[in-house]
Amino acid sequence: MRRSARLASLAIAAPPLAIVVWLFFLPFLSSAHLSFQREGEWSLRNYYLVWRLYKLDVLYTLGISLVSLMLVVGIAILLCGYLRIVGYRPVEFLFKIPLFVPFVVVGHGMRVLLAPRGTLNSALAQAGLIDLNDPPSIAFTWAGIVVSLVWKNLALAVLLVLGAYRAVDETYLEAARNVGASAFRQIRDILLPMAAPSLVVASAFMFTSMLASFSIPLMIGSGEAPQMLMVDVFYRINYQNDLGTANALGIVSYLLAMGVAGYYLRTITVKS
Amino acid sequence: MSRGVARRSLRAALAVVAFLFIFAPVSSLVIWSFTRRWFWPHPFPQEWGLFYWKQVLQGDLFRALHSGFLIAVVVTVLTLVLTVPLAYLLARYPIPAKPLILMVFLLPHAFPQLPVFVNSTTLLYRVNLGGKFWGVVLIHMVGALVYAVWTMTAVFKSIPESLEEAAWNLGASHLKSFFSVALPLATPGLIASTLLVFLYSLDEFTGTLLVGSPFVLTLPVYMYRTSVGYELQVASIAALILMLPGILLLVLLERFLKAEYLSMFGRL
Repeated sequence: MRRSARLASLAIAAPPLAIVVWLFFLPFLSSAHLSFQREGEWSLRNYYLVWRLYKLDVLYTLGISLVSLMLVVGIAILLCGYLRIVGYRPVEFLFKIPLFVPFVVVGHGMRVLLAPRGTLNSALAQAGLIDLNDPPSIAFTWAGIVVSLVWKNLALAVLLVLGAYRAVDETYLEAARNVGASAFRQIRDILLPMAAPSLVVASAFMFTSMLASFSIPLMIGSGEAPQMLMVDVFYRINYQNDLGTANALGIVSYLLAMGVAGYYLRTITVKS
Repeated sequence: MSRGVARRSLRAALAVVAFLFIFAPVSSLVIWSFTRRWFWPHPFPQEWGLFYWKQVLQGDLFRALHSGFLIAVVVTVLTLVLTVPLAYLLARYPIPAKPLILMVFLLPHAFPQLPVFVNSTTLLYRVNLGGKFWGVVLIHMVGALVYAVWTMTAVFKSIPESLEEAAWNLGASHLKSFFSVALPLATPGLIASTLLVFLYSLDEFTGTLLVGSPFVLTLPVYMYRTSVGYELQVASIAALILMLPGILLLVLLERFLKAEYLSMFGRL
């Protein structure tokens, strides 16, 4: 490249790069630095506090993400199978709606729906299914977080899995049908194995995004321990003003995310 | 015959379950937004009306809507101006350190945002941008740039280079071929990408909560505060207004948006 062209490309690339480096990479690195600082000195105390106070929260976060992911993937595999083999446009469209509903709105909508005095209990009481003097609550429990995460992520899963199913050639399915395969067998033996790589990619992405979910557990979580990790980070900053422990929690969340990414990369490279 | 019945009832059951599942939270919002008074344990609100809609549109909600909208417009324009040339460059030219640049724009997707933004907030306060309009614009631009660079680079890559080579052969300069060949062909993709950035900024919650509080208020943060403060009517109205641009986009553009763009929208 000529020198003037190099300069021009540098001038074009520098401003956006500077913003992302300044406000993402430096802060990312300073997480690592600050997590080892306590009252201006190097120390492992932040990690000790994470171990003592938050080890359950780490498991809780992993557990909720895993349960939500299983539900999302399980439902998506079967639902998309139906949509691929039989086809049903209106339902397909319905599942695109959550894509365009922001996370905060999902959090509030589920809060109004699932609270002890929410619209769901109200409707169930009309049907005589529950006693309103002692209403059960799904909101403010782990189940509320799971339902909300499933609601939002199912749309993404349906979109990606259905795309992968559609890429499977119709002749394979016809051949299976000709020898009498049921819809379930067509999903299990043809669609699912052929869509597996896309499914792994989608799962890895959704799992990280569930681990890192913040606004949904903030609005629908219990407010008591154990909490999702991101809520812990926020409370540590907002109520205790404890940057050290918050950053140590941050580092734990990065490591979890990297673990998922590592697993996903390994699966991809093994496959190819 | 009975198989046909079974098949049709499966179809009907699927439609009903899917409809209830998707619309249960949304309809709760609608009911609450038109509720004037609702004493437990009555099954329906005792008094309906537009009372809160009227009240809300004159108060803080309108201010939050206004400033959020302004921020989203500024973020979208700046992101577009910075990203279009860079995306073109990344798609077409062997610029130095290309993998490194692409990685810088990929990694923010791979890690949790909140713990990073906690430290970004400290950095912004250090240059006196914390709690300010421009601080919020900058923190929105981090995410916006990442989305824009990836989608727009893909858009430019999908345009065959031979078209521009033809223009060069006919004596057009690189600048001229960019403006009269590449840019017009890229316009549909660029519009989708622009809408994505706009919606991202309008819906952004984490960064705004950390950097903007307590002075810069956008609709998502306002909705969070009112919801947690049990002003359920107000929060539900805010939630419905927040949903509106996305739903409009879905209804109008569903047939034009490719699956890859739709999946990007799903991450907001």
